[in-house]
Amino acid sequence: MQFLKWGAAAALALSLAQISAPAQAAGGKTLETVKARGVLNCTGHDGSYLGFAEVDDKGNWKGMDIDLCRAVATAVFGDPAKLKIVPISWAQRWPSLQSGDVDIVIKASGGTLSRDTELGLQFSMSYYLGTTKVMAHKELNLKSLKDAEGGTICIPAGTTIEQQVAAYSQKIGIKLEPVVIEKTEELEQAYFSGRCDLYAQWGPVLAIARVAKGKVEDHVILPDVIAVEPEVMILRQGDDNWVDVANWTLSALLFAEQEGITSKNVDEIKAKPTSPAVAKFLGAAPGMGKGLGLPDDWAYNVIKKVGNYAEIFDRDLGKDSPYKMDRDLTNLWNNGGVLFPLVVD
Amino acid sequence: MEMVVVAPPASGKLEDLKRRFFATPRQAVISLLSLSVIVFLVWKLLNWAVFSAVFDASGGPDACHAASGACWSVIAARWRIIFFGLYPYEEQWRSALACVTVVAMTVLSCIPAFWTGRRIALVWGVGAAVFYVLMKGGLLGLGFVGEEMWGGLALTLFIFVTTCLVGFPLAICLALLRRSELPWISRTTGLIIDGVRSLPLISILFTFAIVLPFALPQWLQGDKLYRVILGSALFFSAYQAEIVRGGMQGVPRGQEEAAMALGLSYWHRISRILLPQAMRNALPATINQFVISFKETSLVIIVGFFEILASGNAAYGTGEWRFAYVEVYAFIAMIYFVFVFSLSRYGAFLERRMSVGER
Repeated sequence: MQFLKWGAAAALALSLAQISAPAQAAGGKTLETVKARGVLNCTGHDGSYLGFAEVDDKGNWKGMDIDLCRAVATAVFGDPAKLKIVPISWAQRWPSLQSGDVDIVIKASGGTLSRDTELGLQFSMSYYLGTTKVMAHKELNLKSLKDAEGGTICIPAGTTIEQQVAAYSQKIGIKLEPVVIEKTEELEQAYFSGRCDLYAQWGPVLAIARVAKGKVEDHVILPDVIAVEPEVMILRQGDDNWVDVANWTLSALLFAEQEGITSKNVDEIKAKPTSPAVAKFLGAAPGMGKGLGLPDDWAYNVIKKVGNYAEIFDRDLGKDSPYKMDRDLTNLWNNGGVLFPLVVD
Repeated sequence: MEMVVVAPPASGKLEDLKRRFFATPRQAVISLLSLSVIVFLVWKLLNWAVFSAVFDASGGPDACHAASGACWSVIAARWRIIFFGLYPYEEQWRSALACVTVVAMTVLSCIPAFWTGRRIALVWGVGAAVFYVLMKGGLLGLGFVGEEMWGGLALTLFIFVTTCLVGFPLAICLALLRRSELPWISRTTGLIIDGVRSLPLISILFTFAIVLPFALPQWLQGDKLYRVILGSALFFSAYQAEIVRGGMQGVPRGQEEAAMALGLSYWHRISRILLPQAMRNALPATINQFVISFKETSLVIIVGFFEILASGNAAYGTGEWRFAYVEVYAFIAMIYFVFVFSLSRYGAFLERRMSVGER
């Protein structure tokens, strides 16, 4: 009996400790905590995630996710260097955020129902629309997946892609022969050696595999979109101000692109704003920062020091990167994409 | 009576070879076949690794795409990441020096002249301090580099060495406690050891790195790296304690009784009579445990550390070098081999020296 009592007490204490700690960390004070610490803790990767978080020859982080971390750090401190990238594995993302190890997760992670409701997380707007796509050998002369009736398709094991491909091929009424392989290197080997006609994968990984093989023109990425996953910045539940900071940082990058403001011309435009909204945006007129708890010129700093959304994309994934990816759906609304900034009023 | 003269076995290497592999025609055929298979495989391997390989980084990845062999230029271009991880580029000489310190420290403690408690303690104390100051800086004009920037070989060595340094004394304590005559001590210790041993290392690492911060107050948490090392040292000590206990059981009971009869104190009995003999018995298993621990350092990748394997992933994890993962893994395997093989050779040397099994 005595033993049971103690066991129950210990279990209670442990569960209390587990509940109370994240509650403290999520007390709505993230911005203040970050400011007091003098550095933003943001996610990296435990190795490399091509195009999103990778390491250059000198050991510096680069990539789309890293640049977004830089943008948030710049919004808060006016200095992209006030950033600590914490290398983190996939499994560690949520515990690290909850324990306060990192202030924000920007790690090619989709916004899903269970993450939102069960894990106690909160999302920013989508910064990248991840699509599941299919690549095919050029000599097969496929226009779309519909032409691939009876073909073999390489699919990564243990992912949702398997179900997505099954559902999509059923929808368009064709039969495909799946080859399911666990390890990405092996999977790509199977496709490139010709064992599969097709290769289904998360879009960026496909594009990157094609470049890495060194023969971009021998493979076509079919226009079919098998499935869509909006990638979002992920934050702790219950800190609205911090969510605002993340959303408005992203929005600033998109707004600057929409208005044609780049890191090169931002000074000219700040001196001669094209509209009252732009003047406010760049801090030439007051009001941009106060409600967020940031300085009025935070957006100017972000654009000046990190660049607008297009500059970031081109540098990390697009035409100035080795991956040469198209913007596709991850484009502004007026260029055929689905991204849009919030209104600066 | 006629004497049967049996020809003595022919000496000379050639004769020996002939007798062993070409005694009968069938044997000769099998030998030749096996030999040609071996030659073919070795030639293939050499051709891939040496003759058709690209060593020069100046051609970049394109030179590799053109060649049929291995692409060692990925190592030439990215070796700094493999060895030093995310350590700041300009400061990487410090990380290199720190690795040399660990190796020197290990070599020194392998020399029998250093095998007195004071000298060993001096070597490791000074070595550990030098390593720490070099890596972390913030002293003597060295710039500060936080633990989250440590990586590559230096981090792997650091985790291994500190795990052993913390884990070994702990193991001896646990082993001694387990043979305590007070049942509540020996049973509790037994429970702890068996409890730790029945958990997978990876879950222990995950708990120490990620779950502990929820349960501990801020001031007790320390850096994630040290929590992980503590977890891995605990795991090491649980296994090592059983090895040491096994060694102790091999020491005849009479030895201790004789020491007691002579009026030696507990600490004398343990440190002069029991432990030296127990460690000799336990040596082969201990070396085994060290080798396993060295290789298990790669598990810290799961909690996001840039040890040498993760650094390897980062080394080929860029658009241009993505295809060259085999070469990077081969290179890392070589590094592991060099360290683990020297470790086991050192174990063999110790065994000879202590003539284990000859008693």
